[in-house]
Amino acid sequence: MARTKLNHQQKHAFSSIISGFAAASLLIILVSLIGFVLIRGASFFWPMTIYEVTTQDNSTGLSTEKYEISSLDLQDLQSNLNVRISAQFVDDTLALPFVSITQAKNVYQIALSNGAIKLGAFSSIHTPLGKTTDLQDYKPARDAVNTLIDELSQIQMQHLAIIHRTLADYDRSNVAQNAPARIKVMQEFDKWQRKTDALNMQLKQYYIVFTDAQTSTFRVYLRDLDRWFKPNEMGGLEKLGYMVDRFAQFLGDSPKQAATSGGVFPALFGTVLLVMLMAVIVAPLGIMAAIYLHEYAPNNMATSFIRISISNMAGVPSVVYGVFGLGFFVYVIGGSIDQLFYSDALPTPTCGTPGLVWAALTMALLTLPVVIVSTEEGLRRVPDGLRSGAYALGATKFEAIIKTVAPIASPGMITGLILAVARAAGEVAPLILVGAVKFAPSLPVDGEFPFVHLERQFMHLGVFIYDGAFHNQTNTQGSSMMFASCLLLLLIVFALNLFAIIVRNNLKKRYVRQ
Amino acid sequence: MLKLFESEIQNIDSLSSEQIAVDVQSLSIQLNNKQVLTDISMRIPKHLTTALIGQSGCGKTTLLNSLNRMNELNAHYSYSGKVLMDGKDIYNKKENVARLRTRVGMVFQRPNPFPMSIYENVCFGLKIQGLNERRKLDDAVENALRSAALWGEVNDRLFDSALTLSGGQQQRLMIARALALEPEILLLDEPTSALDPLTTLHIEELINDLKKRCTIIIVTHNMQQAARVSDYAAFIHQGELVEFSDSDSLFTMPAKKQTEDYITGRYG
Repeated sequence: MARTKLNHQQKHAFSSIISGFAAASLLIILVSLIGFVLIRGASFFWPMTIYEVTTQDNSTGLSTEKYEISSLDLQDLQSNLNVRISAQFVDDTLALPFVSITQAKNVYQIALSNGAIKLGAFSSIHTPLGKTTDLQDYKPARDAVNTLIDELSQIQMQHLAIIHRTLADYDRSNVAQNAPARIKVMQEFDKWQRKTDALNMQLKQYYIVFTDAQTSTFRVYLRDLDRWFKPNEMGGLEKLGYMVDRFAQFLGDSPKQAATSGGVFPALFGTVLLVMLMAVIVAPLGIMAAIYLHEYAPNNMATSFIRISISNMAGVPSVVYGVFGLGFFVYVIGGSIDQLFYSDALPTPTCGTPGLVWAALTMALLTLPVVIVSTEEGLRRVPDGLRSGAYALGATKFEAIIKTVAPIASPGMITGLILAVARAAGEVAPLILVGAVKFAPSLPVDGEFPFVHLERQFMHLGVFIYDGAFHNQTNTQGSSMMFASCLLLLLIVFALNLFAIIVRNNLKKRYVRQ
Repeated sequence: MLKLFESEIQNIDSLSSEQIAVDVQSLSIQLNNKQVLTDISMRIPKHLTTALIGQSGCGKTTLLNSLNRMNELNAHYSYSGKVLMDGKDIYNKKENVARLRTRVGMVFQRPNPFPMSIYENVCFGLKIQGLNERRKLDDAVENALRSAALWGEVNDRLFDSALTLSGGQQQRLMIARALALEPEILLLDEPTSALDPLTTLHIEELINDLKKRCTIIIVTHNMQQAARVSDYAAFIHQGELVEFSDSDSLFTMPAKKQTEDYITGRYG
């Protein structure tokens, strides 16, 4: 083969093609990553088309997944016709038992308040006044049900809760079972209980009857009905509206049906609280350390050793921090607190168990190098002239740092802090060890004194996603929930970065020479 | 008028101690283990302008910095000797350095405004002194800016960033910033080296005006400038004070050969 020599221009073109290729492939990877998460995540909120599936033996079923039904699931389909079916479709030819797959008409997707979803055609609305097929009657029925539910919850909160507390007090102070006070309370309890039962009976009179694909009917009590709509008849704009609505619910609701539907509010709340706590701990520590290192520390071996240690700290695997947090914060510090202040409750630990505060401390330790390094970077950019200018006007070293050096270095500080926050929001491994759980029964902040319970275990978006990956792979809804949380996490990190850029640019405009 | 002005200038040795602002007594300074100043003794007169001239690296700036103890910001620094102000040694252990620097103001070679508003820049020193009364600050800022001949140019944009000013304006702002503290002595370290000739002229006029308010010590490379603005001049060569006398004598009939060589441009 003849050797061809490239001239200068060709060489130049060649190198730019090579480097351009690298840049382009990076861009493609990034775009496809975001696109993948965006599409899979957003599809969780998008109302799915309902298909009617007819099989060879003339049984019919409704499904939202057109091509994801294999012959293996046929039996499942037949036995459980109104459950959303999800399975992997292997080959078109295997779909033999299906005679037809068509878009179902007039079929509602019915979301229950426990997170379950049913499919069916509307048949009639039942109220104490009788049966009606007019959809106009839904609204008054709904209002009536809402009033009943309000009444019920008021009884719960204002009467039954107090009675329960009183009874618990009696139990604790060993009041006899037949003491007059207790009997009186029990009577009161019976009275309200009866009222509750009556209300529940009344509620049971409100229901909607739906027909499934096999023309058998089922009831949905208005009490349990969250929302119902006809996805096949919705226009694009309506679907978008539904999506927004659904996203808001996703943000505000708790996980339901073993984290396959509902929302991620506790995880979002836990993440935000963790990150805030962590920022409160890491910001002063990291900034002060950086100021000491850059402004006060003598330029000697010890200082450079500390600097090297800090950069090495940034490279330590995060799970090691988790182990340290568990071993030191939880067992040693938490355990000591327990022995000193909560020795009555031992061997049940009060503080010596994974919890929010220990997680915040661990994450603060993990992100400390990030904050120190970027703060120092910011300090390095402050011109020496400004320092001497401040000294020449009678400022002490401390005043010079506070009044001139720190404000100019503030973009660096903010950058470090936001990086730290983004890191803590997405971290999983150390959190599992020090307090993040896949389901926490209560939020770390509630109405119970002292309102903020930092020793409680908490939910975290990263851990929630990690847990979501273990759900049945064929359960598309479940994995969509994972993708939706992933999308949310991505949005949070993007929003934080955007915020950081805006803050940094504003500060730069204010403090740095143009 | 000119004669009256000239008659003020006396021989340094004949000045009484009340007429002396700074009395440097056999000051030697080492920076980074290098001898920078050797046995400098000079009496700098009050309410007059003294110029320090000499080659680059001869120690003029170090001498200037030693008058408000700015050298101490350098980690490797040692000194011997005394610097007396009002009969007290400023290198006394009990001396409050921050306080000293409010009495001895300084303007640097390059303008170094803080990235704040013009107003904030001028009252920076006062606020550190603990003055927070808005009315007093307003007055002080106006006075300082008027003294620095900058008021007319910036009075309508006091709260704009100081970084929006031109180089000459920034340098006058630096002078205003130092004047706001009403210093007894103002140290100017080549204040016009980064400025164009016209702006330089402005600043020189300003220096002549400021004499009434404080003693001015100026380091300069520019021989004409030194002759124009100073009443006394000191020639420093390789860390030693070669000649110190009134500017007229120094620039017209220098007593030492080295001085003559320098000012006639034979070296430097």
